[in-house]
Amino acid sequence: MTNALATDDAGRPAPSITLEGLEKSFSRDVIALDGVDLTIRAGEFFTLLGPSGCGKTTLLRILAGLDTANKGVVRIGGHDVTEVPPHKRSVNTVFQSYALFPHLNVEDNIAFGLKMQGVEKDDRQRRVREMAEFIKLTPLLGRRIDQLSGGQRQRIALARALVCEPNVLLLDEPLSALDAGLRGQLQVELQRIQRRLGMTFVFVTHDQQEAMVMSDRIAVLNNGKIQHLGTPREIFERPANTFVARFMGHDNLFDITSREGDLLDTPLGRLTVDTRTHGDKVLIRPETIELGEDAETDANYFTAVVRESFYRGSYIEYRLDVGEVSLRALSSNQGQKLHKNGERVPISICPEDIVTVTDGE
Amino acid sequence: MKRGALKRALGIYWWVLLFFLYLPLAVVVLFSFNSINSAAIFESFSLRWYYRLLANDQIMSALWHSIVLAMSSSVIAVLLGTLIGYGLYRHRRRGLGWLIVLIYLPIVMPDIVFGIADMTFFVRINALTGWLAPGLGPMILSHVTFEIPFVALIVYSRFVGLDPTLFDAAKDLYASPVKRAWHFIVPAIKPALISAFFLSFTLSIDDFVISFFTSGPESSTLPIYIWGAIRKGVTPEINAIATLMIAAVIVAAIISLLVTRRRPQTPPEGR
Repeated sequence: MTNALATDDAGRPAPSITLEGLEKSFSRDVIALDGVDLTIRAGEFFTLLGPSGCGKTTLLRILAGLDTANKGVVRIGGHDVTEVPPHKRSVNTVFQSYALFPHLNVEDNIAFGLKMQGVEKDDRQRRVREMAEFIKLTPLLGRRIDQLSGGQRQRIALARALVCEPNVLLLDEPLSALDAGLRGQLQVELQRIQRRLGMTFVFVTHDQQEAMVMSDRIAVLNNGKIQHLGTPREIFERPANTFVARFMGHDNLFDITSREGDLLDTPLGRLTVDTRTHGDKVLIRPETIELGEDAETDANYFTAVVRESFYRGSYIEYRLDVGEVSLRALSSNQGQKLHKNGERVPISICPEDIVTVTDGE
Repeated sequence: MKRGALKRALGIYWWVLLFFLYLPLAVVVLFSFNSINSAAIFESFSLRWYYRLLANDQIMSALWHSIVLAMSSSVIAVLLGTLIGYGLYRHRRRGLGWLIVLIYLPIVMPDIVFGIADMTFFVRINALTGWLAPGLGPMILSHVTFEIPFVALIVYSRFVGLDPTLFDAAKDLYASPVKRAWHFIVPAIKPALISAFFLSFTLSIDDFVISFFTSGPESSTLPIYIWGAIRKGVTPEINAIATLMIAAVIVAAIISLLVTRRRPQTPPEGR
């Protein structure tokens, strides 16, 4: 299977997706997409990330052709497919509920797409068996769907979509129904499969950790608009606005009361920052806060009181009070002395680690 | 102690219920094999009344009418009722949920009302056009009509039980509307289609009232024949017909049960 697809891959570059001015509303009050422009590159693992109701699933369904946009253009591989029905698009979907056909066994489920395309029986069987081999589920081929575990169903749904060798594979929260251990394992596996096939994957999730682990690029959506488009690192370290920052799990956000060059006044105190910034709020990532006397910076010193501490194994999470302001800090566990609740601790923040963000929706 | 008494009372209730449900049927079956013409004394086992049955042209033609009527009306009702069931399912979220009431209502409507209404309706049509003279034609039409709601409800509830994403999956996997119907929808609702067919079939075989009002002189079904015959008293021949009908219904019920029940798990293949 790998070889067949790899050689095919060399001759046929996976196309990209272009979305222009997509708008979709289900009623006057429910606006799912509010003007989305987006280009997804060929062979990329792309993630649509956002809270429920942000429009990410609607966007995916429009790509699949299962929903139609009220306005805008969808191009896949350079072709305008805006009006093309789903059964004529070279796009396949792994659904959140897996949507395996209950009246068919595993083998016939995987073969369904090929059969509908009119692939000859011999060819069909060969490709299904190769795919089963590739995804390591050959022993399950004769089973009924109700005899399978969640993880097995997930892999079969994936195999059923992949065997059609679509230009684009869409994945709608495919791991959300699985327990944490299995999810982690399948995240790695999905990423490896995508790299090996060189296929364009568009992945939908509400889990920012999952998005960061797997994606080449992420689009963070809220209220039907793209809030931030970038690599996991860009989005995590330089979030475009306060919505993105909070969604990525940052909570040390402080108002800027006044600014003077690279000096910012905040409720925390006066902060020195590295570059001139124009954001409305200052963001201090908890892992950039240094605790203790031997700080490596000569700016941004404060004295904090430890309010609570949580031992998390590889790191320790502290809730600190600096004056009236509370601050979260993460300290990686390198065997250092742990600070006790109520203890006064000097802290410092390196100027280049401080970013500012604009107020977002 | 009290719980023991309650348990015993419920146990007795169960047996009394079975007694009243099945004893009258058992008596009919027993006396159909009686060698003499008596409803009181069972002399010895004999198939005499069954031979008499086979030799009776009137009964044979009534049986034939019943089967033709049940078969054709059930096939038509399954086809049409499935469309209704699918339509109700597809449009259930468009504020058309109340339409299902229109399907429920005829099910609870007394048969006699339908019978009289159908009779006047068909007689009037016949008077105006010359078509649909009392006989098998109007009988099939009216049987199809009262069977459709049952089929529609069975099919509808099967659709509601399916994961709605399956429809998306079929579209996504290159199935055109026609292929979707043939390779996904029909196989997915097959158990419902089979049980709807058997239910329609038994309802039709069983129906007396509606058939009676729409039949003509040449189209008596078994229930109509029986009704005519018992005015002269219950003969062992009638017992034999009843026994055959009981057997047919039991067989149909078993088949429909076997089909709708989850198929037994197939052993996993390979290793």
